[in-house]
Order: sequence, then C-alpha cells, then structure tokens
Amino acid sequence: MKTRIERALQIASSLIIVGLGIELGTLLWFHPLALVFFVLLGGTAVVLGMVIYLVSLVFVVGSGKS
Amino acid sequence: MTELLIAQIVVAILLALIFLIRPAVTASTVGKMLAFVALAIFPSLCLIGGWNLHMQRSQQTRFCISCHAMVPYGQSLYIDDPNYLPAVHFQNHLVPADEACYACHADYTAFGTLKDKLRGLTRVYMQYISTPPQQIRIPGGYQNNQCLHCHGGARRFEENAIHAAILDDLVSGRMSCLASGCHDSVHNVSQIQRLKLWKPGR
Repeated sequence: MKTRIERALQIASSLIIVGLGIELGTLLWFHPLALVFFVLLGGTAVVLGMVIYLVSLVFVVGSGKS
Repeated sequence: MTELLIAQIVVAILLALIFLIRPAVTASTVGKMLAFVALAIFPSLCLIGGWNLHMQRSQQTRFCISCHAMVPYGQSLYIDDPNYLPAVHFQNHLVPADEACYACHADYTAFGTLKDKLRGLTRVYMQYISTPPQQIRIPGGYQNNQCLHCHGGARRFEENAIHAAILDDLVSGRMSCLASGCHDSVHNVSQIQRLKLWKPGR
C-alpha cells in the first residue's frame, strides 16, 4: 500500500516526465508553435509537477503521515 | 547546444522515472536528496535551457518566414535591386543573414525584446486561429531607431549631405527613414512576382 508521499511523488514525477517529453518534442520541431507548446503544455506540466513535489514535502511529510 | 539540452532532458526524464517506478527510494536520506535534484533542480534547468533555445530560434530568419503569410517577405530579401532596403542589407550581409528579420525589426528599447515576443504571439494567433490581414502593418510604423541602432554614429551615414541636413529630424523621428523619396523601397510583396530575384551561388 503506497503512502501519501509516495503517491504524491508518482504524480509529480509523471507530470514532470510528460512535460519534459513535450519539451523534447518542441526542441526537435523548428516552428513558431513549438514555443507555444513548450510554454503552455510542457512548461505547465513541469511546473505543476515541481509544485506538487514541493507541496508534498511541506504538507504530507510535515503532517507526520509518511 | 541543442544536443546538450536534449541529453539533459533525457537524463532528467530518466531520473524522474526512478520516482515514478520506485517512490520508496525517498525513505533514505540519499533518496530524498536525489528526489530534490530529479524533481526540482533538473526540471528547472531544462526549462531554463529550453526557454533560452526557443528565444534564440525565434530570432532566426527561417523562424520568421516559416509562417505562410511571411513567405513573400522572405522572398523579398532576394530582390535583385540594390534600391530595396531589406534585399541590399540581406544579400551583402550588412545584417546577419540568419537573423535578418530580427536585426531590423527588433525593438531596440529597454523592454523591446519582451514587446517583440508578445507581438509575435499575436502573429501566431492571427496565423492559426484568426486570419492574417491582407496587408501586414507594423503597429506605430517603422521606427527610425531601428535604422539608427546600426547607422547612427557611422561616418558614412553622418557625412552624407542629405542625412547631415536632416539628422535632427531623423533622430527625433519627425521624419521617417522610409519617407517617400528616401528609402521607400522596402519589401514590396504585392509586386514580388514581377521582380527579378537574385539566385545565390551563381
């Protein structure tokens, strides 16, 4: 049974992997829309993943439920 | 640089995969530190690197003319007539050929680069969601400081009798460098099919 912090880590790492994958795709595509996808899709996913990870450090670990 | 960034992203993905597959790794101190590197540091570095690379690409000529509406403007760089301002600058490498559009159309003010990028986003919107206007115009007109950024202070420019006589008006913007009778042959995309184009390499 996964703990809350482990679930949070999996969600965060999933988002980061998806975001970095999108970023990788935009780097291989030389087009104005590549920048738009990089910021709107890739950047959003990565930042969301990072935020979930950092928040989990504070609220999940901090609550003593690990 | 692109290859380095791609390698960095691949490494970041592999590190993040560890915590997707085995999140229990963070039970140890080393695991916690690795998690911080993999889920905070590395993704941040990848985002910063990716942003820088995309910004560099957006300055390149082929980036600008990759939109359909800009194709005739790219063709106008090859007009075989030295009276055409963009053509003579591009063909003689008076501006960097691979950043020809940016060299003349970047706004050289404090927040010019940011304004250019935001304006560029409206162009992307026009191209893919709305419709580009029949005649593309620069909001506010072409500013003299985009010419004077390079030509201002240059000896040949300032010693030219005509420029010397109207220098104050040019610097203040009261008179445009592109005024009728001066450097008024610019892109002329409406006539591009009738103009002779230079073929490089001959």
